[in-house]
Amino acid sequence: MSRVAITGIGIVAPGAVGIEPFRALLDAGTSAIAPVERFDTEGLAAHNAGLVIDFKARDYIPAMKLRRMNTLSRYAVAATRLALDDAGTTLPNDAGVALGTAFGPVQTSVDYMQEYVAKGAALAPPQLFAESVANAPGSHIAIDLDLRGFNVTITQRESSLLAAAMFASGQIVKGTVPSAIIGGVEEVNEMVFSVLDRLGALAHADGVLPEGMRPFDARRNGMSIGEGSAMFIAEGEPSRAPYGWIAGFGIARDTTATISDWGTGDAHVATAMQAAIDDAGISISEIDAVYASANGTKRGDLLEIRAVQRLFGDDVPPVVATKAYFGEYAAGGGLQLAAALLAMRDQKLHASFGFDEPDSHMRFAAVRESRPAKLRNILVNSISAGGGIVCAVIAKERA
Amino acid sequence: MRNADTTTRLAVTGVGIICSIGRNRSEVWKSIVESRPGIGKLSKFPGETFPTDVAAEVGDIDDLLPVDKRATRRMSRSDLLAVIAATEAIEQADEGATTALPRNRAIVSTGTSTGGLLEGESFFFDRLVRGRRRVASSRVLQQPTSGPSDAVARALNLGGGVLSNATACASAGAAIGMAGDLLRSHHADVAIAGGSDALCRLTYSGFNVLQAVDDNPCAPFSAGRKGITLGEGAAYLVIERWDDALARGATILAELCGYGATCDAHHPTAPHEEGRGAQAAMRGALAEAADGQHVDYINAHGTGTLLNDSAETKAILAAVGGDVPVSSSKSYFGHTLGAAGGIEAVVSVLALQHQLAPPTLRLDTPADDCTLDYIPHTPRPMAMTNVLSNTFGFGGSNVSLLFRSAS
Repeated sequence: MSRVAITGIGIVAPGAVGIEPFRALLDAGTSAIAPVERFDTEGLAAHNAGLVIDFKARDYIPAMKLRRMNTLSRYAVAATRLALDDAGTTLPNDAGVALGTAFGPVQTSVDYMQEYVAKGAALAPPQLFAESVANAPGSHIAIDLDLRGFNVTITQRESSLLAAAMFASGQIVKGTVPSAIIGGVEEVNEMVFSVLDRLGALAHADGVLPEGMRPFDARRNGMSIGEGSAMFIAEGEPSRAPYGWIAGFGIARDTTATISDWGTGDAHVATAMQAAIDDAGISISEIDAVYASANGTKRGDLLEIRAVQRLFGDDVPPVVATKAYFGEYAAGGGLQLAAALLAMRDQKLHASFGFDEPDSHMRFAAVRESRPAKLRNILVNSISAGGGIVCAVIAKERA
Repeated sequence: MRNADTTTRLAVTGVGIICSIGRNRSEVWKSIVESRPGIGKLSKFPGETFPTDVAAEVGDIDDLLPVDKRATRRMSRSDLLAVIAATEAIEQADEGATTALPRNRAIVSTGTSTGGLLEGESFFFDRLVRGRRRVASSRVLQQPTSGPSDAVARALNLGGGVLSNATACASAGAAIGMAGDLLRSHHADVAIAGGSDALCRLTYSGFNVLQAVDDNPCAPFSAGRKGITLGEGAAYLVIERWDDALARGATILAELCGYGATCDAHHPTAPHEEGRGAQAAMRGALAEAADGQHVDYINAHGTGTLLNDSAETKAILAAVGGDVPVSSSKSYFGHTLGAAGGIEAVVSVLALQHQLAPPTLRLDTPADDCTLDYIPHTPRPMAMTNVLSNTFGFGGSNVSLLFRSAS
């Protein structure tokens, strides 16, 4: 058994740039999800998202390099530099890079196709094409820091970040690389927003309540989406006191899931959670909190409720839902992990923003108010539409 | 965390493939033996004004679909290609075995660069004309690059998990290596690992505007090479821990014994001139394989671009030496982008099984900067124990996989 230290976190998030502003956002119990001004939402049911507003890429990236980067790459490179500053370290050039993104460069592809339509197939800008691959952000990070270890990008919907973390952590444990950048990146754009809205996946006003993302709440009716980047410095031998240790992973698939929604196979989710606990070499009673996947969708949250109760029975540890602070997909799922690592470092649970009236199936209550807690191990869930499940355990101690 | 112990041996027990030279492994291998390429005039996207019109297309696949028509309605072409190839691979893995694969513990790990982009383009064009409210969003449900893994898992009822790797043209190689490690660390018991990519307008246009496409069928390593030929297809390997495969009574086709993954950290689209990252990837794969230092044949990335073939040649010389025969099977079926690592891994396994190295077609005169033995024109019977399969991509990502003969 081996564990991987997280020694630095860089955040470019809705409502916060930098790990301490992000901590302050969580501690204040305020959401960064707000009305969208970036594009027109008229005629759609949903109008809110977690968007990165107060971020100036040129504060982090030289102008010469900026010209070659799309928005995703700018978020990712800036967050990486912030993570290294936070860790107070540099990485050896055999370090790896593993990123996760659910939708990747959809906006760049749209921009390219608009040029294609306007100018013709032979005259679209090559620079846009180069940035239309999902691994462009990871490539820019490698070039920026001269990192020559593995460089992979995982695109597994809501599980993208934890899947990337599983791979990178495994490579550190295996000894392939001494350290790695693990991270996630996402961009909210009109195409993704409107498609999700048309599919009925987004939270919306229902005539009684205003639009809002309400994880685990009885009145929930969908998710809000978010963007940004979170980067984590992962080291086999920590260069400083870590936020926490990545201790184990479990992966499974809900075979009852449909192409675009969550299924009813809570046993599959419980299997992945149990596998992560086993991989961490601990017992179920040593899990002191669950940082949930809950995103305010009816089926997704119900699936997780049932799975948590199946696994923990009547002894469910505190459950925290963080996604209503910044939105689903934010930083490719990275902000949820960042919140869990802050909880571990600060020994303090966050309030579950948006949660008020428990779902009628819940035999536990999500944490409502931020509070100090003794946290040895936290289970972090990511449960995707379509059935993918990746769960992780983070630990306070190395062993 | 459990370690991916490299002393745990991995067995390949099934392969499935569909590309422009064949719709299954028998057809593909027959084309290779007969030196018959699958490159022709681009028939998709009539009316578009691309500077070149050569492609390696698969053609109609409706008659090959192993799932009922209703289940395919919301699948992209990349998804469908993936399901066809994965089904063939799983059927072979179960053929003659005393126990079927444990599907509830089977993970799907797919590399893809386009996913459902082809369908996304149509959606985009319709929205431009008709407005966003009049185009059904269900048509792009599978546009995300997670589509092929999800589709394979759904079609074949696999419960071990899904992973999608979108690391440009290195995607499928990375997906296979990643899956191997998850088996070694016992996070899964079976892996269906490979890649799938369908031709689409964006990539066809994009490589053209980068001036990376040959206006004739690609001629890797040759003096007259001018770029790639774009192709499409899918391929999967079924991989299990060696002892599990034996216990199941499965026929072992080859061993996956090494995986190296690196980054050039040099340029967003161009390889490092000396193949720095490619060298390291090959060395990584060899280091991981006990007794794997001797390589008998290299299935090269061999795209046919000036920069790639030169850099790869230098990398091979530095990492493996100049005596090992090398070929580019892209001269048969083009560059299948995110699927390339899967398709060429299957070709490497077939080469080991048949002890026959595929040639590089259209290699009349090797370029001055391509100084290796590239097996021109016709397949070469030869004794092979270790075969290295290279896959490199945009962003400077490099993956090498080492396969070993089962015997």
